[in-house]
Amino acid sequence: MSDDVDTAIDLVACLERVRAGNQLAARELVEHLHPLVIRIVRAHLPRRVAEEDLAQEVFMKVFTRIGQYQGAVPFPHWVSRIAVTTCIDHLRAQKRRPEFRWADLSENEADVLDAVLTSENDVSANDALAARELVAKLLEQLKPDDRLVIQMLDLEQKTLVEISQLTGWSTTLIKVRAFRARRKLQKLFEQLQKKERS
Amino acid sequence: MKTSHSAWQRLVVAARQVPVATEETAPYGFSTRVSALAMAIERPSLSSSLNHFSWRALGFSLMLMIVSIAANYSSVTAVAENEQDLTDPIEDILILT
Repeated sequence: MSDDVDTAIDLVACLERVRAGNQLAARELVEHLHPLVIRIVRAHLPRRVAEEDLAQEVFMKVFTRIGQYQGAVPFPHWVSRIAVTTCIDHLRAQKRRPEFRWADLSENEADVLDAVLTSENDVSANDALAARELVAKLLEQLKPDDRLVIQMLDLEQKTLVEISQLTGWSTTLIKVRAFRARRKLQKLFEQLQKKERS
Repeated sequence: MKTSHSAWQRLVVAARQVPVATEETAPYGFSTRVSALAMAIERPSLSSSLNHFSWRALGFSLMLMIVSIAANYSSVTAVAENEQDLTDPIEDILILT
């Protein structure tokens, strides 16, 4: 993940120039790191927050803290950790929905939920969008840290090592968070099965 | 448990079929705006940091002074009262002469 980012420009020289106050180097750095930052921001974007605003916030944090970067981890990993924590902060600030209810779902979403709860068949490709919306609503019920882990594992299909590099968390902590998230999701499904579209 | 787990897995498999946005290059003007903002950030100088910390230290020492006076007020007043009871030796000498 980081190799392609590392080799495209001379990061060490670029960082030196940025530290010296070179605006052109700062611009080069933003353009270079934008794909990495926007991927994280898009995947963990809270409701009612524009992705561009959140990306800008991430970059401002990067530039404010750039003096603290010691080179202990590759620079893209350091940036991705800032992006992840910024997203988590925004997710924490956003009020969690008090309860997941059938009534809050669109007709398509309710059909998809019904299908996964009652049958063993796969969801049809036509319902992918509804499934995506449904997943987003279910993830909103989780704690931001747990949500981030389960999203990276199940939706983005990242490995534990990749998640560890992106977040700075140990693989044990990631496993614990994934376990907690899955247990919460399991309870949610059980509750929904009991209520079953009243 | 297995049913709930597989329900989630089937839901996630379906959700993954939605194409994700592929445009990852910065929008026009984004990098210029961000870099200009970043370079405009005023980095705190040593003198301003010292100034900031000295005000904090002054505030903290004032607070400490008030707390220590409040904590020892009773003992200070007791000593003062005891001192009033003592006779003044010079006054005694003057009276005797």
